[in-house]
Amino acid sequence: MARRELISGPNFSGRSGALMALLRDGKFAAETFYIGPYSEAALSGLSSTIADEIEIYRAKPARFGRAVFLPLGFAALGRREPQTLSGGEQVLLALHCFSLSHYEAIAIDSALEQLDPVHRDAALDYLGPREEAVGNVALIDNRLPPAPAGWSCSERAADTDVYDCDPGRVVADLAPRQAPTIAVSGLHFDYSDQKSIFRAVDLTLEGGQAYRVAGPNGAGKTTLLKLLVGVLAPKAGTLTFGGEPYRPWRQGNRAIALATQNPDHQWCGATLGDDLARRRSAFARHVHREYLSDTRMAKLADALGVRSLDAHLYELPLAARKRLSWLWPLSGALPWAMFDEPSVGQDAQTRLQLAAAIARLATLGYGVLFVTHDDDFAARIPHRVLALGDKQVKAG
Amino acid sequence: MTPNGALAVAFVLIALSMSGPGPRGTALLLVLTLAFAIIELRGATLIALRRAAVVVLPLGVFMGLVWIGIVGRAPAEIAADATGTRAAALVYVAGICGRLFFIVAVIQLVFLRFAQLTPLQFVGALALPVGVKRMLVVTLSLIETLRHAIDRAHTALIAAGTLTRSPSWRNLIHAWRLIQAVWLSAVTIVLGRMRDKWPVENTLALLDRTLAGGNPKWLLGDDRIWLPIALGAAVVILLADRIAGAS
Repeated sequence: MARRELISGPNFSGRSGALMALLRDGKFAAETFYIGPYSEAALSGLSSTIADEIEIYRAKPARFGRAVFLPLGFAALGRREPQTLSGGEQVLLALHCFSLSHYEAIAIDSALEQLDPVHRDAALDYLGPREEAVGNVALIDNRLPPAPAGWSCSERAADTDVYDCDPGRVVADLAPRQAPTIAVSGLHFDYSDQKSIFRAVDLTLEGGQAYRVAGPNGAGKTTLLKLLVGVLAPKAGTLTFGGEPYRPWRQGNRAIALATQNPDHQWCGATLGDDLARRRSAFARHVHREYLSDTRMAKLADALGVRSLDAHLYELPLAARKRLSWLWPLSGALPWAMFDEPSVGQDAQTRLQLAAAIARLATLGYGVLFVTHDDDFAARIPHRVLALGDKQVKAG
Repeated sequence: MTPNGALAVAFVLIALSMSGPGPRGTALLLVLTLAFAIIELRGATLIALRRAAVVVLPLGVFMGLVWIGIVGRAPAEIAADATGTRAAALVYVAGICGRLFFIVAVIQLVFLRFAQLTPLQFVGALALPVGVKRMLVVTLSLIETLRHAIDRAHTALIAAGTLTRSPSWRNLIHAWRLIQAVWLSAVTIVLGRMRDKWPVENTLALLDRTLAGGNPKWLLGDDRIWLPIALGAAVVILLADRIAGAS
């Protein structure tokens, strides 16, 4: 009888450690496939193309009896680099590789939280007790408790309060502000090796409003945020900010604070102090200096669970880094705040607090964009939907 | 043609270029290489030449500035304590860059000849021990990791207002921050992979299994034509200038 183990509990309750202990035990399986929270722990890192990633994991000789999990047409994407897939698509690729592999078991740490509802249901169905041939499954998933039928659940309690956080305290002292309108007109964008992502997109984003960017994995949600911030340049189209022409890819970003999906995509220094000093220097002309003073930022970081500006960012636990990634957009330094999958890897209580903080930001007049597949999280933030699909962005 | 045959031909061509052939030998070498390129690659030859130019041009500009512009003499003239001329320095720089251009172009020709293969298929098809193939794949993956780290660091610094996507003075001034962020990202990616994913899965053993099943082939099809031609031409090229000089 195959095992289905859900390891549940709040952040910093040692769930990842318990998962690793289970795998090391040897009773779970001789060899286990592993999918961690972000690309470096989801993909092998040994392949330059999707076809190679699949080939590395394909069982030799082929394994029979286990259904192949094929949520996307990976054959057509074979020449693409795995790293160019979106976070959710990378998880789907990893699951596809597992389904072809010789592994008798799979362990997943928070990765399914990045999947859109359709793919998440498909993945959970595939991993569920009905599919005996999948083998043993161990799972950490913040959105799952209570455990689905057929799963055994081990509940853990928090074993430290070192990283306790309350995002509400970060926005508590913010003053009201009217964020200028961002208008997008005739936006075209495609990656050089892919078909187009956006075609002739027109969009108006008003300050004082929260927008949820919604769409299936790979629809271009993160791409839209990157275009607005200036990380990517559109092939055609114009942007205005408060009615003035705005080209962040040329002039530099001066309006939008972004919290990336993987927090490690946003640090620009080794310590929190370095990171903030560089942001302060970059935005000196656009932000009041006292807003970014060390005293204030240290207080806000403390509210997110990091007690010192000398904290080395890359030495913090992943969940703590994720929380710290909200500091910049929640600090109110810039009129627009964007959050890419902010709730991934966070326990229920923290998600509630974060949703309240984001909602307050919009109430104060800031502009907010957030990407999430977590409907419960989104429901707690009064918002309008920007639906991505068919190379268009439709405001709901 | 097999990847092994193409690499053997490339090895002969590169070795010949390094042997310092005279004008006749050089002309023969270029004709042979061009024939190989046009017959095996056709239009893709231009891509190989363009890529080689992109690689060599910055070095050429730098060497030109130093040797022709500043030093004004060739190294041989310095060694002989002669007055020297910028023309000699130009010949020296052209020789170095020309040879490097040739080597890069030949390597590009081989890779473009097998552009339909994925990197793993290409390495798997090589007649090399599995350990060497694994080293090649891991080296390629490190290059990919660095590219990924550059992308991450770029995203971070542009979003933080430190850099711009388009060329700017700001980018020049803060380039060192990009370098620091790239290395921090690369180390984080590699550690993330090696701490959990690889030990749990024993991923490198999987790679060995994949590479061991590559079924490398050797001396098939056009290999049987190009290898004898290359070896025969090597003899002619090595002797061409000596025979001409003796007569």
